[in-house]
Amino acid sequence: MSETVEPHELSQEDFLAEVHSFQFWLEAVDGYLGGTSFGCDPDLPEQTFAGEELEFLITTLCNYCIGERAALEASSGMIRFAPDPEAAIFLATQVVDEGRHLEVFVHRLKMLGVSDPWTEIDQRANHSLLKFKDRLLEFVDQRDWEASLLVQNVILEAMEFSAFQAHAASADPITAAVLTGVVKDERRHMGFGENDLGRKLLHAPHTRSRLNQIARELNTLALSTFSEIAESLGLQGETDVSANYLATMDRLGFPHG
Amino acid sequence: MSDFLSAFSIQSWLESCPQGYLDSTEYGHRPGEKESEAMLDNEDFLEQEIRTTVQLVLGERAALAASSGLINLAPDDPSRMFLATQTLDEARHVEIFTQRLYDLGVKKSDLDGTLANYGNPNLVKFAEVLLEKIDKGDFVAGVVGQNIVLEGMAFSVFEMMHATNEIANPKFAHTLSGTIADERRHVGFGENRIGSLLQAQPEKKPEIQKMQQEMTAHMLAVFSDSFAESEEVIQEVQTSADPDAGPAMYQGVDLNTADSEEMEAVLSNTVIGEFKTRLARIGLEYLPPAA
Amino acid sequence: MDDPLLELNKAGSEQPEARNSSDGARQRFVLGETGFNEVPRKYRKFYRKWQGEGDSLALNEVLCPVCLVVIRSSRELRVGDRVYCMPCMSRLIVTREDGILLAKVVY
Ligand SMILES: [Fe+2]
Ligand SMILES: [Fe+2]
Ligand SMILES: [Fe+2]
Ligand SMILES: [Fe+2]
Ligand SMILES: [Zn+2]
Repeated sequence: MSETVEPHELSQEDFLAEVHSFQFWLEAVDGYLGGTSFGCDPDLPEQTFAGEELEFLITTLCNYCIGERAALEASSGMIRFAPDPEAAIFLATQVVDEGRHLEVFVHRLKMLGVSDPWTEIDQRANHSLLKFKDRLLEFVDQRDWEASLLVQNVILEAMEFSAFQAHAASADPITAAVLTGVVKDERRHMGFGENDLGRKLLHAPHTRSRLNQIARELNTLALSTFSEIAESLGLQGETDVSANYLATMDRLGFPHG
Repeated sequence: MSDFLSAFSIQSWLESCPQGYLDSTEYGHRPGEKESEAMLDNEDFLEQEIRTTVQLVLGERAALAASSGLINLAPDDPSRMFLATQTLDEARHVEIFTQRLYDLGVKKSDLDGTLANYGNPNLVKFAEVLLEKIDKGDFVAGVVGQNIVLEGMAFSVFEMMHATNEIANPKFAHTLSGTIADERRHVGFGENRIGSLLQAQPEKKPEIQKMQQEMTAHMLAVFSDSFAESEEVIQEVQTSADPDAGPAMYQGVDLNTADSEEMEAVLSNTVIGEFKTRLARIGLEYLPPAA
Repeated sequence: MDDPLLELNKAGSEQPEARNSSDGARQRFVLGETGFNEVPRKYRKFYRKWQGEGDSLALNEVLCPVCLVVIRSSRELRVGDRVYCMPCMSRLIVTREDGILLAKVVY
């Protein structure tokens, strides 16, 4: 017989040790980043954009960069207070994923003719998103693991996941390829957040009401940002950027509304 | 600056590290490689290897905490991006050296106990000096402490261990060669990025030199403890070694015949020599530990 | 369970190794590559992309509610089975709702 390991037969402890490891990350990203350059096949053709279309795309990418920068700063800050060494190693893989996301979006901006992307990002930043980022980093500074996970890995990443997926479906080939790779990384981050938070809540149900309050405050900021983005890209109607987030909160047992 | 930093991008890290020298490795070594039998069968040798590996895990945990903490202090995005790759490199180092402890027979449930038992208190102090700077939000001091002092030390220690293990224990030698390749980037970033920042903030120099002085003192104490503890084992290893194995040269010293005092001297002198030249290149003066 | 393994009919969809026998023995499945590339190679055949409308789940498959990837097993899945979604790191239990097998995340 072949020496494949049926993952479903692992103990929970072994499963978590496996998926949180650098080794797992290394072999996973090799599957979809091998042969790419800045997140896409270097031979993909560039599309021509109509005036306004290009403007919207640039603003959108700039705001994706704000989100990625927030995640880069927050996930790195969380390493110092991760509950165990395996979570710290997982977060280190997330740090590099977020750095990569920022890098590929910035590179895409350059390809689209933006000569100084870093300045452009600051100029086009959505205020709700900046506020969201500040609040997230406050939780990280306070070394508040549950709040940081909720705000970053559940709220921000669940909404990004929906928005990026919807955007990829209608984007030009290069942007679509870049986004598809990012979504594959976000799957890990989002899943890590939900599962770790779910385990923590089992042992500390009293944190629920505090977290619920934080969620109410912050999901409106994220939601207004991503709805605005979806609208400017013409994705509104088919895409509900909050559906994935709401489903996650539902599974975690948070009340709706 | 941004041109030079493009060499430190995540894209080039992906090409050189995961898709380069780590391609098809398992925990940093070739799949299937095992620790040397001669070492595993001898209790003293084994304990010595566990003790050494514990210091590596602790050192790498400090580097992981430090490099992740530096990301938010970085003054520009390209530096943040580089530090993101360094954070993951350090996490990998923590993982592969922890895995080595398991390969040496440490049980997962005994990991914390083993680290507490064998961890050198001077190494803990060394890390504390560095992490304190980062907690205070001092990017320049943090990078000098981490990428020049800590990494400079790690780099030389790894090279020396690599020389000892190249023939005797290829599995561990391979694990080390990947970390040496990583540390090379880290040291390079430290020098290149900090040089310009220090020029802009010369008033920071005395404080940074003081940090280097304290870290050096703790480091030398770690070396002295480690070589004193291993004096007998080193002799035992050397007498039981294959006489035809040939020399294991490090900085002109044959580690297969040198005694522990000579080893400590060659390591300390190498590390301090490196500190001096690196610090000088970024405009800092090396301060020897206060007597 | 010593029936010879049947060949795949097409990539990603397998023939069961043995028909469900009356004693409730589970069907076994030989898993092939699915083109899924988000986990280490040795685990790739245990997952596939959900194609959306028109796609259906085989007896050895269940959908991850967290990340919407199809999780596959080498045996028929039944209520109470535990499966893992490696792409999003979730532990799941197979349940039945309205007659359909679903995976519920267990933290
Ligand atoms: Fe991201
Ligand atoms: Fe993410
Ligand atoms: Fe390291
Ligand atoms: Fe390093
Ligand atoms: Zn999943």
